[in-house]
Amino acid sequence: MPQAIIELRHISKSFPGILANDDISLTINQGEIFAILGENGAGKSTLASILFGMYSPDAGEIWLRGKKTNITSPARAVELDIGMVHQHFKLISEYSVTENIILGDEPLRRLAGIAGLDRKAAGTRIQELIDCYQFDLAPDALIEDIGVSSQQRVEILKMLYRSAEILIFDEPTAMLTPQETERLLAIIRRLRDNGKTIILITHKLEEIKLVADRCAILNHGRLIEVFDVASTSTQTMANRMVGYELNLNIKKTPPNFGRPVLEVSDLTVYDALKVKRVDAVSLKVHAGEVFALAGVAGNGQMELADAIAGLMDVHSGSIRLKGEEITKTTARRRACAGIAYIPEDRQQVGLILDFTVSENLMSKSYFRPPYCKGPFLQTKAAARLAEDICQRYDIRSAQGVATLVRSLSGGNQQKLIVAREIEAQGDLVIFVQPTRGLDIGATLGIRQRIIAERDKGRAVLLISLELEEVKALADTIGVIYNGRIAHTAPASEVGMKELGEYMLGVRK
Amino acid sequence: MNPIIIDGLSFALPLLIIAIGGIFSERSGVTNLALEGLLGFGAFTGGLCFVLITQILPMDSAVAFYLSFLAAALGGCAFSLIHALLCIKLRANQVISGVVINIAAVALTGFLTVQINTLAFAGASNKFLLTTAPRFSVPFLCDIPVLGAFFTKLYPFQPLIVVLAVICWFLLYRSRIGLRIRACGSNPQAVDAAGLSVGRIRLFAVAASGALAGLGGICFAYSISANVSPSIYFGGGFLAIAAMIFGNWKLVPTLLACLVFGFARSAASQLVLLLKMDSSVTDLAMIVPYALVLVLLVFFSRNTRAPKALGEVYDKGQR
Amino acid sequence: MKASRRLEGLLVAGVAVLLALLVISVIILAVGKNPLLVFSSLLQGAGWLPKPKYAGGRGVLTDFMGLLDAMTPMLFAALAVAIAFRAGLFNIGVAGQMLAAGFLATVIVGYSPLTAVLAKPLVLLVGLAVGGALGAFVGFLKARFNIHEVVSTIMLNYIVLYITSFFIKSYYIDPVSRQSRAISSEARLTLMNVDLGGLSSRLPLCFLLAVALAVLFYLLLARTRLGFEIRAVGKSRKAAQYSGINARRTIVLSMALSGCSAGLAGVTYYLGCFNSILPAELSNIGFDSIAVALLANSNPLGSILSSLLITTLTYGSNYMSSTAGISEYIASLMIGVVLLFSACGGFFQYLLGRRRKALELDKEATGGAGIGTGGSSGSSNPGAGAGTGDSPGSEYDQDAKAAGQP
Repeated sequence: MPQAIIELRHISKSFPGILANDDISLTINQGEIFAILGENGAGKSTLASILFGMYSPDAGEIWLRGKKTNITSPARAVELDIGMVHQHFKLISEYSVTENIILGDEPLRRLAGIAGLDRKAAGTRIQELIDCYQFDLAPDALIEDIGVSSQQRVEILKMLYRSAEILIFDEPTAMLTPQETERLLAIIRRLRDNGKTIILITHKLEEIKLVADRCAILNHGRLIEVFDVASTSTQTMANRMVGYELNLNIKKTPPNFGRPVLEVSDLTVYDALKVKRVDAVSLKVHAGEVFALAGVAGNGQMELADAIAGLMDVHSGSIRLKGEEITKTTARRRACAGIAYIPEDRQQVGLILDFTVSENLMSKSYFRPPYCKGPFLQTKAAARLAEDICQRYDIRSAQGVATLVRSLSGGNQQKLIVAREIEAQGDLVIFVQPTRGLDIGATLGIRQRIIAERDKGRAVLLISLELEEVKALADTIGVIYNGRIAHTAPASEVGMKELGEYMLGVRK
Repeated sequence: MNPIIIDGLSFALPLLIIAIGGIFSERSGVTNLALEGLLGFGAFTGGLCFVLITQILPMDSAVAFYLSFLAAALGGCAFSLIHALLCIKLRANQVISGVVINIAAVALTGFLTVQINTLAFAGASNKFLLTTAPRFSVPFLCDIPVLGAFFTKLYPFQPLIVVLAVICWFLLYRSRIGLRIRACGSNPQAVDAAGLSVGRIRLFAVAASGALAGLGGICFAYSISANVSPSIYFGGGFLAIAAMIFGNWKLVPTLLACLVFGFARSAASQLVLLLKMDSSVTDLAMIVPYALVLVLLVFFSRNTRAPKALGEVYDKGQR
Repeated sequence: MKASRRLEGLLVAGVAVLLALLVISVIILAVGKNPLLVFSSLLQGAGWLPKPKYAGGRGVLTDFMGLLDAMTPMLFAALAVAIAFRAGLFNIGVAGQMLAAGFLATVIVGYSPLTAVLAKPLVLLVGLAVGGALGAFVGFLKARFNIHEVVSTIMLNYIVLYITSFFIKSYYIDPVSRQSRAISSEARLTLMNVDLGGLSSRLPLCFLLAVALAVLFYLLLARTRLGFEIRAVGKSRKAAQYSGINARRTIVLSMALSGCSAGLAGVTYYLGCFNSILPAELSNIGFDSIAVALLANSNPLGSILSSLLITTLTYGSNYMSSTAGISEYIASLMIGVVLLFSACGGFFQYLLGRRRKALELDKEATGGAGIGTGGSSGSSNPGAGAGTGDSPGSEYDQDAKAAGQP
């Protein structure tokens, strides 16, 4: 008879305008892997955050180990032996693995009455954990020097160090290659076998099939059903999960390549700290082609995009746009010559949050007519144009084009950037992580937009960390590893597994 | 040579303790341009303590002397709480808050000094007179050629600062609170996720910076002018900030930067003396540390690595 | 919408001033005086209320013109701070820029035998040039070497202070007053003892120029290309660079503009309100102007109002201390407290903003967006995550990062 460890009773949580969790009741048993499945925006992250004390529910009760419990803060959650691996890691990049793990629960050693850190004791304890779960980590390595999947293992160690019994994983495989995913799932299984209770939040069915014991499906904040994974077919789960949801599959016509629009050859880029980020990269993107660059985060893809857009200095090599040499020109020249760029960091780079919608829509063309006459801005004309664009791209804001962009939702912010860049009518559009953090409707809209641009005969360079997105959209796939292009092939000719090996640098 | 070292050291060490205050605050992620005001307020409370004890209570000035350091640290600490409140709780722009506190400190200490002098000592002076601090030399060590100057004619606060600096080093790099402070300046989200309160850690760091700056302020008051007056705002806090930047927000390199400033200053004024130049030329010699800061910044600013989360308001809601 | 945001700014400033008055009243009570009496004598001193008695040929107009005279450099200085603020730069070197401009104008024009027609415009030109050059230098240090402007301007303040002090003491000292020798009245930008309806009064020639500059700065920011660039760099240097704006050029330009205005403040102060320079002393205006700009939320038009207010405090304090028997320091304390509360202005606005955001999200959602935003677990906020996997410091990233730091 399985023993309940967590019992949620009628949990509801709403945010302004959204009912994120709607009367959810479920039971999680001691020592099982319990998956919470749902599309982006189904409310599963909110549910996890409530369990970890980051949000308090508007209504409902949490019963922990048979007792009604208020989890008021993450600190309280840790006291209750609950741990969480967040989707975005909470690590200090210039600290060592050990220091990151002990932060907040540091072992002390008295030296002449003064309490100092006891690094030795900490190191021993952590080495034991590393050995026990075969984590393959060096306790003294700095976080900035290790890869994403190692960082994730540090996050897991953080929980184990605090002897957490209930481990919550929020979308743990989003940034991992297939090989790394496999390894993580093995770790999760090992944790379960050691008696831990695992809550796994994901939107990937196949992972659930591989490891989970039971699985709850959320949709639009409501609990749809709880399944026993072993006795339920994937098809049933898929049907229940998607329900009346939009289908994320994009209809794509076969590509029709034109002349090369972007030609990058032997491009090498160093960052401000003189570290080589892009290493002799060559690639070609044709009109009517989606060239997708896959890769694990931090392998130089963002720097490559910045260098092409003119935001980073090129060390050597050349960039040509429609046959024209643009390696040394300014960002503005390149934008005018036809490079549109949807950057990774929307809020800090792509937008000026304290500017209005209309000001942001003109931020790349304010200096020329119709936005400008001589040195003077034409604010009225700009507002009219902005209203038109907002309508066509379905950008919603409370007070029209005079709304500060800061108060727009993430999806509308991204729509605004995409609208601005596409309206520039450039021949090359660079999309970096275009759907990161967006809800399903917005994601679908943006993906359709990408294909539409391709079909209009534009060249699209798509940089994404999500392999699934790359596979869904690309005509040609390039894999970047350690600043170099490891492999380039037509999308139809490479499998997920193979891509993963290139992304990890296993295959060369 | 000797006067350069002696005067340089007596200037560099108070500067160092203020700069360490800056390190505490900025490593926790709170930009602290308020050091100037904090040192001034600390000097004020220290000076007040001194005159109260010596003039009201018939007490030995040596006791008053040491108590004034405690009062200065407490005063600086208390005044820094305004900065903490503005930056941590009220989400003010940290740069603005710092400058505002500097201005408020000048106004407040000026007002209070006159008010207290009028009330208690029947004179509307804007100064608290201190005694000149007794100086001492370490026996034997001071006789070593050249290096002996480091042990000659020391103010009593100099060894105190050295001890404090060592303690601060330990706190920052070898203790629990140091680990947490530096974490706050790098990635406050991680600190929050570890179940710690970013606000509380930053509060501690800012308060510590206030106490240290206040201490540095009273040291300057004893060593430079033997009084507490508006002239205490001579830019020492900003020199300390510059030293901290050269030191890359690390303690030992900051010490070196402070020594460079101190020796440059004393060397320049010795030069004026040596060449028997007119006393008005001293004004020109005074420029040296400030100009040196600018020149050095030209070379070093590019390579500095400030704490990553420096100046950011930490919003718990943003995850 | 924009109008309502502006109103909000006014509200925040009003609350800051009221709170400050309240705190100061408590302090005045604490030292045993009547706050109402103190404030009314402050207003009398500043020419807002008539004094009980006047010396011959003087009246309330005399005081008010004196107030405008004192306000002229204050407004210039506040505009210097405000325009730099809008570019995301903090010019706390206004005092040094003023002194440098005032000193050079004194030496070049003030001691020359030029007639008023030539001398007065030349004084303004020297002020513009010296202030502008110093400002541009600070901007250059920031743009080229990433030196925080707060540190560099403070250092320049001291450098200017000691250099001018050296030259004044060595070459231009008036042995009696211990200040620099008085300039020729031809070069002075304030006319003294002008007969206005039977009352003898000052006439600040540049007052209207200062107001005009405020309007000009306002239009520059709101209506021109350069203004757009300045605001964009001020709000987000990274985003501005991404938009193709040359952030370095914009920084140098806006610091130069700021310096120009500071230079004008310097000449209208040292060759207007006064006719000599006290060596080794920075004017308080350089720092009070920060309060003015903050209070106006860096709006050039708002600066007109707030400089009138702050000047009333400083200008009236002399009379106040002599009649109400309270230390003049109370005026600077008042400014300090106003500053403290206006620094919290961001917090009030944050509270208002949060309410507004909640309302807008509501509207957006009921407007038919239909689908929630990622469970609001913040995945829609990549900037705040500081994810360790994100590109570690591309070049413009580094630059922009330093923008908020010394």
